[in-house]
Amino acid sequence: MIGGLFCYNHKGEVLISRVYRDDIGRNAVDAFRVNVIHARGQVRSPVTNIARTSYFHIKRSNLWLAAVTKQNVNATMVFEFLLKVVEVMQNYFGKISEENVKNNFVLIYELLDEIVDFGYPQNTDTGVLKTFITQQGVKSVTKEEQAAITSQVTGQIGWRREGIKYRRNELFLDVMEYVNLLMSPQGQVLSAHVAGKILMKSYLSGMPECKFGINDKIAMDSKGKPAEESKTKSAIAIDDCQFHQCVKLSKFETEHSISFIPPDGEHELMRYRTTKDISLPFRVIPLVREVGRSKLEVKVVVKSSFKPSLLAQKLEIRIPTPLNTSGVQLICMKGKAKYKASENAIVWKIKRMGGMKESQISAEIELLETETKKKWTRPPISMNFEVPFAPSGFKVRYLKVFEPKLNYSDHDVIKWVRYIGRSGLYETRC
Amino acid sequence: MPAVRGDGMRGLAVFISDIRNCKSKEAEIKRINKELANIRSKFKGDKTLDGYQKKKYVCKLLFIFLLGHDIDFGQIEAVNLLSSNKYTEKQIGYLFISVLISGNSELIQLIVQSIKNDLASRNPVHVSLALQCIANIGSKDMAEAFGQEIPKLLVSGDTLDVVKQSAALCLLRLFRTDPSVIPSGEWTSRIVHLLNDQHMGVVTAAASLIDALVKKNPEEYKGCISLAVSRLSRIVTSSYTDFQDYTYYFVPAPWLSVKLLRLLQNYPPPEDPGVRGRLSECLETILNKAQEPPKSKKIQHSNAKNAVLFEAISLIIHNDSEPNLLVRACNQLGQFLSHRETNLRYLALESMCILATSEFSHEAVKKHQETVINALKTERDVSVRQRAVDLLYAMCDKSNAEEIVLEMLAYLETADYSIREEMVLKVAILAEKYATDYKWYVDVILNLIRLAGDYVSEEVWYRVIQIVINRDDVQGYAAKTVFEALQAQACHENMVKVGGYILGEFGNLIAGDARSSPAVQLQLLHSKFHLCSSMTRALLLSTYVKFVNLFPEIKSHVEEIFVADSNLRSADAELQQRASEYLALSKLTSLDVLATVLEEMPPFPEKESSGLLNLLKKKRPGRVIENPDRLDEHVKKEPRETNGTSGLTLASNTEQEGGSADLLGLGVPSAGNGNGPTTNGAGAVTNNIQKFYCKNNGVLYENDIIQIGVKTECRSNLARLALFYGNKTNHPFMNFQPNVSASPALSLAILLQVKQVDSTVEAGAQFQQMVNVECVNDFDEQPDLNLVYNYNGAPQTVNIKLPISINKFIEPTEMNGEAFFSRWKNLSLPAQESQKIFKAAHPMEATDSTKAKLIGYGFQLLENIDPNPDNYVCAGIIHTRSLQIGCLLRLEPNKQAQIYRLTTRSSREAVSQHISAVLCQQF
Repeated sequence: MIGGLFCYNHKGEVLISRVYRDDIGRNAVDAFRVNVIHARGQVRSPVTNIARTSYFHIKRSNLWLAAVTKQNVNATMVFEFLLKVVEVMQNYFGKISEENVKNNFVLIYELLDEIVDFGYPQNTDTGVLKTFITQQGVKSVTKEEQAAITSQVTGQIGWRREGIKYRRNELFLDVMEYVNLLMSPQGQVLSAHVAGKILMKSYLSGMPECKFGINDKIAMDSKGKPAEESKTKSAIAIDDCQFHQCVKLSKFETEHSISFIPPDGEHELMRYRTTKDISLPFRVIPLVREVGRSKLEVKVVVKSSFKPSLLAQKLEIRIPTPLNTSGVQLICMKGKAKYKASENAIVWKIKRMGGMKESQISAEIELLETETKKKWTRPPISMNFEVPFAPSGFKVRYLKVFEPKLNYSDHDVIKWVRYIGRSGLYETRC
Repeated sequence: MPAVRGDGMRGLAVFISDIRNCKSKEAEIKRINKELANIRSKFKGDKTLDGYQKKKYVCKLLFIFLLGHDIDFGQIEAVNLLSSNKYTEKQIGYLFISVLISGNSELIQLIVQSIKNDLASRNPVHVSLALQCIANIGSKDMAEAFGQEIPKLLVSGDTLDVVKQSAALCLLRLFRTDPSVIPSGEWTSRIVHLLNDQHMGVVTAAASLIDALVKKNPEEYKGCISLAVSRLSRIVTSSYTDFQDYTYYFVPAPWLSVKLLRLLQNYPPPEDPGVRGRLSECLETILNKAQEPPKSKKIQHSNAKNAVLFEAISLIIHNDSEPNLLVRACNQLGQFLSHRETNLRYLALESMCILATSEFSHEAVKKHQETVINALKTERDVSVRQRAVDLLYAMCDKSNAEEIVLEMLAYLETADYSIREEMVLKVAILAEKYATDYKWYVDVILNLIRLAGDYVSEEVWYRVIQIVINRDDVQGYAAKTVFEALQAQACHENMVKVGGYILGEFGNLIAGDARSSPAVQLQLLHSKFHLCSSMTRALLLSTYVKFVNLFPEIKSHVEEIFVADSNLRSADAELQQRASEYLALSKLTSLDVLATVLEEMPPFPEKESSGLLNLLKKKRPGRVIENPDRLDEHVKKEPRETNGTSGLTLASNTEQEGGSADLLGLGVPSAGNGNGPTTNGAGAVTNNIQKFYCKNNGVLYENDIIQIGVKTECRSNLARLALFYGNKTNHPFMNFQPNVSASPALSLAILLQVKQVDSTVEAGAQFQQMVNVECVNDFDEQPDLNLVYNYNGAPQTVNIKLPISINKFIEPTEMNGEAFFSRWKNLSLPAQESQKIFKAAHPMEATDSTKAKLIGYGFQLLENIDPNPDNYVCAGIIHTRSLQIGCLLRLEPNKQAQIYRLTTRSSREAVSQHISAVLCQQF
């Protein structure tokens, strides 16, 4: 039970304050400001207990969003809810910023009234919310429409309304993966995992029932032909996954098949995580040499290890520099490199890079001798990139659409599948 | 461009405005990182920077540091700035150093050199800068490096006044870190004579320095009194036009006056009549000036004037010798009591509290009682109300007690929660101290509980019960009043406790009235029973069982209550035990037994409610103003029992064998100490080790600050000692370490097992330490108890013996004459017998006390065995782990000669000798 929801700007001024339950007093708003936003030391914990009241906060671009409660609630539920609130707001008015929140506060209060009732989160699906909370002025709703909204919000399939019609039935599927890596200077993988999600954009008529097949090891084994398929190694082991509310979980549990009636428009169908057999797209090889007390030589090699036919984009390698750097000279074979004093790092950017290639940068860092004998801790070198494949090996095997009432079949639907691999926290120690 | 190159430092201004414009913390950090990198590259660069640039970058670093970031470079540049000749550059250099240099920096040598150069400089501004830097760093190193030079600067004739001023303050700072920095001897008079300096600034600075010096060493600087008085009189008698620069809103030199007045408060009133007269004149003038119409309407004027006035009043109070001044001060304060300014009212009340304690002005303070009570009622500021309560407490005496207590009670209803507990204590103390009529006292306390039950601490209601029990005349009234109070719909749990206790004791006194018949009383109490905590329920159960004794006609009702599942099978072990024991008591025993067990409580030893006072002190340490009448009363302090439950386990104690009536804050030591000393004159040290041969419980050791009590329980060859340490003072004992040890020979004979205790004993607290002893073999020594603790900073030690001797392990043995004499004969070897003939130290006629001593020693007294009825015959068996030693004893008094003959026989030679050696000192 969420007692209330507050939104502050970076100065701690209250932008939005909505209290759902009586046990949250007026001073709760100030308590969070005083004890967290204006705290002397930075508050790292996302959950703060102040005078028997719990505050759960997240930060989004200089805004603080805090849920407050006096009860013993499920903390993960609250954070999930906060993230949903952010998502809903983004869907309504784009980027979350102080400006936007101020401009849309009437809408935000309207949304907050709808998505939480007496502290219990309700429907947070933007698609549904948009049917009755619109941004175009006041529109008188007819009785039938009102009834339709009520039956839909309270009905079994709350995420999709009836009577949707498209001339062209289309369906887009994005497999988006984030690779996280921590590697030792010698090239040993210390930890690696992939967090993936499947985003689906559907423009389908009627109430179509979809069936979705992936190369999950368990699902494929249960299909009865384990011998041949798992030998080809195309199946992957998914550590854990979660689905959009439209997926019928009972069916997934019994038959390992993913079937659902999708919401109209965009939604996140599935989220998953894998830790085994990840194909790492890049390797970073650092070489650091200290020349006396006033100089440091750094050489970094980046090697791509995927099919030469593919092209990685938006590469950015960030090499941290010591805090007493007084000057940097850089030579790089490809791309552009710059010393960014404001971030205490050398940033090396490469627009594109093919598979099975390598590139190198060398830097001479001059140091200023200082009072303190503190040794520089050498933070890891981090990297950002985007590649057109799924590093976990995830594959969409099929996506079938059935709509028994309308006369279009699976073949009439145009389907698009795209794989994107991005860097999460991709770091190499040096 | 020279325009930019002024003091403006445009780069710095731009940087600061950049930072101010940052939208978020992250942006700020980015900007700072960029600036730091820029400064690093500038400092690293091979081209040399000019002074302006260095100053600018050092300034930026300073600003970044003040924003909370670590700065670990730039020190060299800052030190370089010190050698610049430009004031601004030098100033920034010093600023950086005083803010950022740590004491153990390598650069400190360089800095010290620079400062030395500047101190020797002829430019006074440079000297002042250096002095400021020394004072700002103020480390021990600085004190050592410049301890010689600064005093010279201070007293030298050709130093400028401004520099002298700085030097005095700098020296004060160094003196605070290292008192040895000020040289004594000839310097003393030269420093003191600074008070005569022409320049007021120098005098003001010197007054601060001298004040600090005087606090350290009052004797040496005694010369300053007359100088300060004459200086003061010159200021006070001057008109405001005399000191142009040092007149603040028409008040001449207010700061200096205040400092001088403070300085004088370090000494008793001056002995020299001339000086004394001058001082009184000054103080009178200050009081006169307060009456003059203000010269300005500005707040600063009245603030400055009042500051001097209040300091003067403090001095008058401190001196406490001139009655007319005290009375005038009091009248002046009385005017302030109704002043518009809240601060003035506060200060007036605060000063009056102190005035009330002076014998001269106590009466004068009392005149303002109306105003103070009014302040209590109408004042808006809670802190002022608090002071008003303090003052009422302080000015209370016999004549006005009733009125003040009534007013405070009335105010309690609306009082702030923060001061309620304190007020309750004050009311309780005043009511008790000035009670002429105990009915009134009982009324007051019951009202107190009714109005502010939550804030009534245990001690308060313990106390009212003690008083009711000790005074026969109020018992009936008290019973009637509590009965009426309990009839209220909602009454506080503390009221139920008091009510339960008093009705249990004296319910019979009001039982005659049909409206408060026994059944009604029981019903009334029981209607509250279910709303109370288990502590109170336990007390109520005791009350019920007392009702069984008092009113046999309602016995069946009471038994029903005991039988109820919620009591007899209560989850609370205490309640369950009481219910079942009381039930058995009321069902099984005869009326006689019942009447004995449930007899009325014996009166408590009379004592002050020092428990309450201690509590008050604990609540507001350092702030408690004594009620003046206390000063001439004899103050007795008893250790308070801190064992939380003891107060309520009373009733069950009464039915336990040998239970001591331990209730209401009576410590175990004083309770079990029937014939021991209960009061001690100041400084008396009591060490009762001898007495413990014949008794098990009592006070073992007592002096002004600590009391040690002992309770011993023995069973065959095992003994358990409970040592009670009571802190009789208002300060906690630190590092409290009781250490029990035995000599090597003794440690073979007994095994000691000592529980560890906390190292701190709170003021007025008492706690218990258990010592387990097992007797392995016979012994004749006693273990040592070495107590080490810090009281008020001073280490204290107490070395005493623990009262464990072989007789603690004697089991009394009953036998007839025949058996006794046959055994007596069996032990006829000369080594087994020990005989002593000694003079009687106590009256021989008191056979009862002699018998009690023998029994207390551990023996069974065998009567009618010896042919001579005057002789005492005893037998016992000493249990050790390895063997049992039979002991027989005959004590034959010779009344004509006033001597005793003591014969002891036992199977061990050492035992006989030891017993007779010990016992011969007891009779």
